[in-house]
Amino acid sequence: MEFGHFLSALTPFNLVLALFGVVAGTVVGSIPGLTATMALAVLVPITFSMDPASALILLGAIYTGAIYGGAYAAILLNTPGTPSAIATTFDGYPMAKRGDGDLAVALACFASVVGGLVGAFSLLLLAPPLSKVALAFGPIEYFWLSIFGLSLIASLSTGNLMKGLAGGAFGMLLSTVGVAEVSADIRLTFGSQMLVGGFGVIGALIGLYCIPVLIDLVATPDRHLKMEEDVRSVRIGEAFRIAARSKINLIRSSVIGTLIGILPGAGGSVAGLVAYSEAKRTGKPHQKFGEGEPDGILATESANNATVGGGFIPTLVLGIPGTPPDAIVLGALLVQGVRTGPTMFSQSGSIVFTFIYGLLIATVLMLPAGLLIGRYAYKSIVNIPKAVLVPTVGFMTIIGTFSIRNSVTDVILMLGLGVFGWVVGRFGFAASPIVLGLILGPIAEQGFVQGWTIGSATGNLFGMFFGRPISQGIIAFTLITLILPLYTARRRRRKEREQT
Amino acid sequence: MPDHQRHPDGHIGSLVISALFVLMGIIALYDTTGYSDRDSQVFPRTVAIMMILTAGLSLITRFLHPSDSGGFGTGTWWRRVLLVVAMFAGCLAIPHIGFLASGAIAFAGGLIAAMHDRWTPITALLYAGCGAAVMIAFLALFRYVLHVPLP
Repeated sequence: MEFGHFLSALTPFNLVLALFGVVAGTVVGSIPGLTATMALAVLVPITFSMDPASALILLGAIYTGAIYGGAYAAILLNTPGTPSAIATTFDGYPMAKRGDGDLAVALACFASVVGGLVGAFSLLLLAPPLSKVALAFGPIEYFWLSIFGLSLIASLSTGNLMKGLAGGAFGMLLSTVGVAEVSADIRLTFGSQMLVGGFGVIGALIGLYCIPVLIDLVATPDRHLKMEEDVRSVRIGEAFRIAARSKINLIRSSVIGTLIGILPGAGGSVAGLVAYSEAKRTGKPHQKFGEGEPDGILATESANNATVGGGFIPTLVLGIPGTPPDAIVLGALLVQGVRTGPTMFSQSGSIVFTFIYGLLIATVLMLPAGLLIGRYAYKSIVNIPKAVLVPTVGFMTIIGTFSIRNSVTDVILMLGLGVFGWVVGRFGFAASPIVLGLILGPIAEQGFVQGWTIGSATGNLFGMFFGRPISQGIIAFTLITLILPLYTARRRRRKEREQT
Repeated sequence: MPDHQRHPDGHIGSLVISALFVLMGIIALYDTTGYSDRDSQVFPRTVAIMMILTAGLSLITRFLHPSDSGGFGTGTWWRRVLLVVAMFAGCLAIPHIGFLASGAIAFAGGLIAAMHDRWTPITALLYAGCGAAVMIAFLALFRYVLHVPLP
């Protein structure tokens, strides 16, 4: 951790790479269907001729920019640009609809920078001890973590709990369509070849979130987003004050993001959802999450960007990639001849530390770059005529969904799911529980089946599911998340009765 | 989230959708009987039962305590239908006429559906030109930069 490594990261070439990576990643991440994984996979060949540290800086900057870029589409179009930005739609789009899209974009930028810095500093200072967390998580802990994420359905379905749970179950059923991962049975396809590949998460996200908005937009002559009479620039000062006021939420969500980023397979979407759930649980009574609450954006965006640094911890220390983009970075390192593992920090210290400092610099550069891009993205979306915006977004959904698996079937499923989502959404079955079920379903199933098998084999099924300390902690948090809102509501009702 | 207009049809619609979820749960439950491995059955079966129970409870609650929340709300139906049909038609045409031509079908349908102002020759030319520019830009990005094999 020498100062020389910091200076190595500060060379003009590395600075240009970091800036280019952040901008390219942000632009790619903002397009529905294009993910950080795709951006990295496309750009990784150009890093083969660079020295390893510069290559890593470029890849890290693209990754962190793409995770942040997902917030633009989530806020301005109600379509998560990347799965990490799912929970950003909950409050981001309502803010944009009421004319606060510029503020929401600035909040997302501040939060992403804070989250990115916490993740990168954790990587710099605590990588070896934190990497042990990844090893402490077994299948049962993953199962309970996904159940914790699903408990968010309860708070997303105020007044419609049964519908929310039914929607969550429907989403989990959708996640089982196709070839079973554990035993290769073909499930719920009803003989249709179209369904054998299953429902892609990103296509389903685009369909469930974006298509209903387009269907509603064309039906009335109302403006797509409220436009202020005096078009303001991105409200940096206001966003900074809100972020400073919510510093506990920001730090807590960043730590959650870092810790979940460490867990292989969990990723930014789970981190964003868990952080959102925690922000809502600990929120003040006057805060209306789901209706345009700034703290919702701060929680999600700080958590998902913190997973970048967190995900690099098991990747570099253990050689276990935390997320698909980490796997691409790991592959790039292998091509460069760099061996990851516990000795990497001592044997290849100059590469690792230059990269971490580069990641920190890229995260800081995201602030001006993100605010500048956000300003133009917001102004463009607000000013573009609805007649052009709707078909443009529609075309983007088609080409974006197609590009994931080069499949027309995916596009048709995306559209079908979108129309279904619109119809059921009109009668109280919201899209978010379905999406939660779809994303967390595979994690829950894999953890559940593996835990069940191990528990049965060892003759201690109860101990397997309920006897492990980390599981007990997650179960406790889940119960608190479920019970606390009910208790608070009951206490409020009792107070109101006493007053009247 | 889309705004939910209050509408008397909301009660019946809510019952129908709840019943649909119950039906889908029963079909999924039946489907699980055909799996060869118990590991494949346990999760979808648990989830299907959960869906039947929760959607069933929602159905009973709505039946006993009717409410008027939900409904398709206001707005022009032909525009909604045109948008969806144009997008589906565009998708189905991709393997036959290629991405650009099928994209043009979807774009034109969306443009007509979303155009609430009066058409003038200038707006028609301008919007069609915008559409062509957007489609060509995205096609170039995906085909030549991202190397997506677009038909």
